[in-house]
Amino acid sequence: MIRNLTLPWWAWILMGLCLCGFVALVVITVRRNRGMKRSLFAAPYTLWMILFTVLPVLLIAYYAFTDANGAFTLDNFRNFWDSNYESNKVILEVMGEDGAAYVTRGTVNVDTLVYSLWMAFQCTLICLILGYPAALFMADRHMKLGSTLVVLFIIPMWMNFLLRTIAWMSLLEDSGLINSFLKALGFNGVQLMYNSGAVLLGMVYNFLPFMVFPIYTVLNKMDYRLSEAAADLGCNGWQTLYKVTMPLSVPGVISGITMVFMPSVTTFFIPRVLGGGNTMMFGDLIESKFLTEGNWNVGSALSLIMMVLILISLSILRKADPNGEGGGIA
Amino acid sequence: MEEARLISLENVHKQFDGVTVLSDINLYIRKKEFVTLLGPSGCGKTTTLRIIGGFETADSGRVLFDGQDISGLPPYKRRVNTVFQKYALFPHLNVRDNIAFGLKIKKTPKDEIARKVDKMLDLVNLQGYGKRSVDSLSGGQQQRIAIARALVNEPEVLLLDEPLGALDLKLRKEMQLELKAMQQRLGITFLYVTHDQEEALTMSDTIVVMRGGRILQIGTPKSIYDEPKNAFVADFIGESNIFKGTMIRDELVRFCGAEFPCVDEGFGEDAPVDVVVRPEDVLLVGEDVGQVTGVVKSVLFKGVHYEMMIDAGHSIWKVHATTMQPEGSRVGLSVVPFNIHIMRPMQEEQ
Ligand SMILES: Nc1ncnc2c1ncn2[C@@H]1O[C@H](COP(=O)(O)OP(=O)(O)O)[C@@H](O)[C@H]1O
Ligand SMILES: [Mg+2]
Repeated sequence: MIRNLTLPWWAWILMGLCLCGFVALVVITVRRNRGMKRSLFAAPYTLWMILFTVLPVLLIAYYAFTDANGAFTLDNFRNFWDSNYESNKVILEVMGEDGAAYVTRGTVNVDTLVYSLWMAFQCTLICLILGYPAALFMADRHMKLGSTLVVLFIIPMWMNFLLRTIAWMSLLEDSGLINSFLKALGFNGVQLMYNSGAVLLGMVYNFLPFMVFPIYTVLNKMDYRLSEAAADLGCNGWQTLYKVTMPLSVPGVISGITMVFMPSVTTFFIPRVLGGGNTMMFGDLIESKFLTEGNWNVGSALSLIMMVLILISLSILRKADPNGEGGGIA
Repeated sequence: MEEARLISLENVHKQFDGVTVLSDINLYIRKKEFVTLLGPSGCGKTTTLRIIGGFETADSGRVLFDGQDISGLPPYKRRVNTVFQKYALFPHLNVRDNIAFGLKIKKTPKDEIARKVDKMLDLVNLQGYGKRSVDSLSGGQQQRIAIARALVNEPEVLLLDEPLGALDLKLRKEMQLELKAMQQRLGITFLYVTHDQEEALTMSDTIVVMRGGRILQIGTPKSIYDEPKNAFVADFIGESNIFKGTMIRDELVRFCGAEFPCVDEGFGEDAPVDVVVRPEDVLLVGEDVGQVTGVVKSVLFKGVHYEMMIDAGHSIWKVHATTMQPEGSRVGLSVVPFNIHIMRPMQEEQ
């Protein structure tokens, strides 16, 4: 069965703190951008949105709030909270009062969501820690390698996401490249796959560009004279970074965080390939509801919950970065 | 006066991607002096300033500050501050925090920062603007903040890169006087960059005329205006009539088909020269007594004087006078010897 579902207490605190920090960043940025307005959507785009976004959403909402016969129900959401809901209902119907002893809440759905949030959180944090310095190097006027680095980051994005992930599999497998190499050197093989670490690695690898490019775009557009002015006024390299570059790159950071976190939470396939079915994320859960169990109603309810989470992040992104400064990917 | 030299550039060369941008720059700046680098756009003024500020390093040559070679010193260790061409104010900080930036980095006590920033806001006439965001200010106000942000650090030298370039004419004139007054009051050395000759003439103690990465002439505004070293300087500093001529012998020059007595010597005999006559130095006289004669081609009223273009056969003369001669009339032109400037012809750039 699925492992790694319970979070230690410090994980909750860490996530809470980071969420507070992120909200503070957003609030500051929104206040700084006050008065700017988004231009209205162009008409063809609106039509496109209605056809391919609004309609599917309405359809999902319809499934989420109906049962197999098409009658209105909230059972699908109860099913999310308690995955044993259906069987418990049967137990209570059959056994009456006595059945209460046999009723247990099935926590797999909620746990999977929490696990997904935790994985997405780690992935976002790692991407930020790796991506910010990378973006700094890429945007540095004095770095001759900057543009090369940009290309190196773009090239893997040309490849299909599934292919990229499977490529990692052939590296990490027990009989993969790394293990073959280790064995050739006379070491014992190590199990690199089929754990959360491998899933995290795959996620970071896939989503890192979404962190790097928004930050890079903002840094690249930033007037280099501002850092020179800071140096002129007595800042050394670190102080310039801390006092000028970082505060001014906040819109890019917010974009990056949102753009990594959103696809991370909905990650599917990566856990199945690199986690070898030992771990499951919310995206996989939704997929299995639709494709394996054929339960479109519960699947839709789960999707809707996911979508609300994403909409919240999106609206944060829109508010914090009203001009889309954080790169064209948003 | 060796010891009074605060900054010296010695044989400074600089290339960008194999293109020479500065060659053989030799220049020194005395304490409390107002020095202006003057030259057309692209002549290397900004690059010179950036080398002194520490944002570029010279390929060869030395930069001395108080006699010490500072070529390898990063900007934050140099005792100079810069007012950047486009101000470069920090958009994430309000006016107050922009000005206080340098003091905070130096860990100045809070009350002292508050006092100094208030004094600066007074100095640049922006009392009460402390809490405003810098984006909400006009160009002139941003300009003043940029100056205040630099001056509050009490630098020994202030580098200013076309600080008034973005302002309209009236404001620019006002700020010129204000800056000059500020410089004299505070006793700070100013190194000022501009491509506006009038600005340079009004403000500077010393003007350095540059072209194509070279220094053409260094001198006081008066000496550069009165005795330009070559036709380019003459043309760039104020309006001029520049003619090709021949030095017949000392104190006699031939140009525009006539011989003119002058005061210059030492060019040799029958030597080709450039002759400069300022428009306001040309006298309009009767046709019969003029050294050359011509026909008035156009008359333009310029506020204080009339500007007339006079066709003297092989040459066109620009003349400024307070009285007007009607278009088409024949006039005589005369120049007193003292107002004729003879220069060696300019060597073309290699
Ligand atoms: N970072 C740079 N890289 C390449 N060329 C530069 C750079 N900075 C300046 N230049 C070139 O050097 C020359 C002098 O520039 P600059 O010093 O800015 O002139 P000015 O300030 O007198 O207008 C120009 O031709 C400019 O294009
Ligand atoms: Mg310039």
